[in-house]
Amino acid sequence: MRGNSRRPRLSPSSPGVKTRRFCTHGRQRECVKQRVEIHKLRQGENLILGFSIGGGIDQDPSQNPFSEDKTDKGIYVTRVSEGGPAEIAGLQIGDKIMQVNGWDMTMVTHDQARKRLTKRSEEVVRLLVTRQSLQKAVQQSMLS
Amino acid sequence: MLYIRQMALSLEDTELQRKLDHEIRMREGACKLLAACSQREQALEATKSLLVCNSRILNYMGELQRRKEAQVLGKTGRRPSDSGPPAERSPCRGRVCISDLRIPLMWKDTEYFKNKGDLHRWAVFLLLQLGEHIQDTEMILVDRTLTDISFQNSVLFSEAGPDFELRLELYGACMEEEGALVGAPKRLATKLSSSLGRSSGRRVRASLESAGGSGSSPILLPTPTVGGPRYHLLAHTTLTLAAVQDGFRTHDLTLASHEENPAWLPLYGSVCCRLVAQPLCMTQPTATGTLRVQQAGELQDWARVHGVLKGTNLFCYRQPEDLDTGEEPLFTIAINKETRVRAGDLDQAAGRPFTLSISNQYGEDEVTHTLQTESRGALQSWMEALWQLFFDMSQWKQCCDEVMKIETPAPRKPPQVLAKQGSLYHETVLSEPTAPGGPAIEPLDDIAAVTDILAQREGARLETPPPWLVMFTEQPALPSPCSPASVAPAPARTHPLPWGRPRTFSLDAVPPDHSLGASCSVAPLPQQRSPRSRGLCSKGPPRTWLQSPV
Repeated sequence: MRGNSRRPRLSPSSPGVKTRRFCTHGRQRECVKQRVEIHKLRQGENLILGFSIGGGIDQDPSQNPFSEDKTDKGIYVTRVSEGGPAEIAGLQIGDKIMQVNGWDMTMVTHDQARKRLTKRSEEVVRLLVTRQSLQKAVQQSMLS
Repeated sequence: MLYIRQMALSLEDTELQRKLDHEIRMREGACKLLAACSQREQALEATKSLLVCNSRILNYMGELQRRKEAQVLGKTGRRPSDSGPPAERSPCRGRVCISDLRIPLMWKDTEYFKNKGDLHRWAVFLLLQLGEHIQDTEMILVDRTLTDISFQNSVLFSEAGPDFELRLELYGACMEEEGALVGAPKRLATKLSSSLGRSSGRRVRASLESAGGSGSSPILLPTPTVGGPRYHLLAHTTLTLAAVQDGFRTHDLTLASHEENPAWLPLYGSVCCRLVAQPLCMTQPTATGTLRVQQAGELQDWARVHGVLKGTNLFCYRQPEDLDTGEEPLFTIAINKETRVRAGDLDQAAGRPFTLSISNQYGEDEVTHTLQTESRGALQSWMEALWQLFFDMSQWKQCCDEVMKIETPAPRKPPQVLAKQGSLYHETVLSEPTAPGGPAIEPLDDIAAVTDILAQREGARLETPPPWLVMFTEQPALPSPCSPASVAPAPARTHPLPWGRPRTFSLDAVPPDHSLGASCSVAPLPQQRSPRSRGLCSKGPPRTWLQSPV
């Protein structure tokens, strides 16, 4: 997740990459967002997505190895199963999940986040994620 | 022969005896528990177990009596011959499952919406009886904020015939102590029993118990424990095969109590549930063997297959092993109520003995499969199996159209008690050494390990560390211990503590990172946390960074 030299370079006009400005806690943040649509896989009784999450407002953000800002209590992708639905959809380790099917994930507890992703009635989840490598790639392409 | 039958009968009796003894022991336990209960809710649960035990005991005793009678009749009456064919064909057994039970209530709108007055609460449960099996649901507390009584778990009966009768009874009891309305003698009795002293009081209660009060129910034995809660029959109904459907249906309830009854609930008068039945002939193979099937087409040669008769299909596999490996069968012949089977000499199988044909009508066409069995005995057993299947289908009716799904009832959630668990120390995970030569177990690791284990046990994340932790720690977090080449030196252990000493922590000691699968890469040093107050019960910042798979 740090080695952004290996990630493909994305231009701002490529689909799925949007630059947005929004305010959080009085600071203006520019965030590059990616939409990821995951179709859950049925495994017996369960519907799985094939990745793991970490973080939450009830968790210790300083232990998050993926965040740049160590007070960020957001939900991060900590592991992506090989060949799983998440990997197929393009989710990457280190992504920060901002929304799930329209529900905000920036101010939720760990358990709330898990529940929003594992609703049995939903077979497809549309995530809005932000990726640091993405951000850096966009910045680099804008500079060049 | 007779001796063997007697042995078989007595063996069955032993099984029943064993069940009876078990129930008697459970009943004793329930009585003791009831005597020891202080809270109304516990007493209600104990009374419910007691009542169920009683009813099961009654049932088993009745069954034993019936069997003994049958045995006696069998001895004195004519002896049935063993070698002859059964006089009557009996249908196969099946599994009957009732789930998603819901009983709607009908409160007066003034009560429901205005929510005035004391909140009366009731404890209700359902008792279900099929044949000699009695099962109960969990006890549910009802008050006027509920519109329905919903029971979460499902009840499964294993040995049911197509002529089953599932009796459903709803029992209720008041949560509040039954007051002065119940009558003076009871109060007097309570007073007597409580003032006589513990042991004699118990004896008085026991004698009152055995004297028995007016029974209000067919299934339940009356056990009016003086001072304890009393369940009343509120409604009942009986469900049979006609009510079985792979979906939800509403059935009428016969209301059994009236407004004067202290446990009366305003029932709407119906019960919704999903009642399904799975006859064994649908889920288990009823006949298997080698067959030769005449192929359709010009060649008309005969293929050797392994036939399995299961449910409404005759599956023909290439080899017997295919059944286990999950291979698809070569082909499948449907067998339903419209199928016609003929045995004996057939035109299309001239010269081949032991053949039978199976014909199905598909619209205008009639498709016939001709099968040859290995011997006369094999032909007879195949025919017998087919006749039995037709009989079962005629008895189980709609249950044989398609296999109805029965979900294995989940084990009932045990009460939230941290009971009978091993020592926490057995579950402590040892972390890797952070520096060569350093202690293998960091003293502070234990606290977080213990905290983590407690959090896992309670099933919820501990949002805060245990209050006593506050007394010891107040330091910045440091990277995970599994990074030997880590950047973070610094406020590390200035006072490494040897293992086994009582723990005293320096201000600079390190909280560990127990996140599962934490990557071993380095994270930069976090900012210093603001110092917290040292109150024993103040909430500290979260100390975990959990990861969950989704």
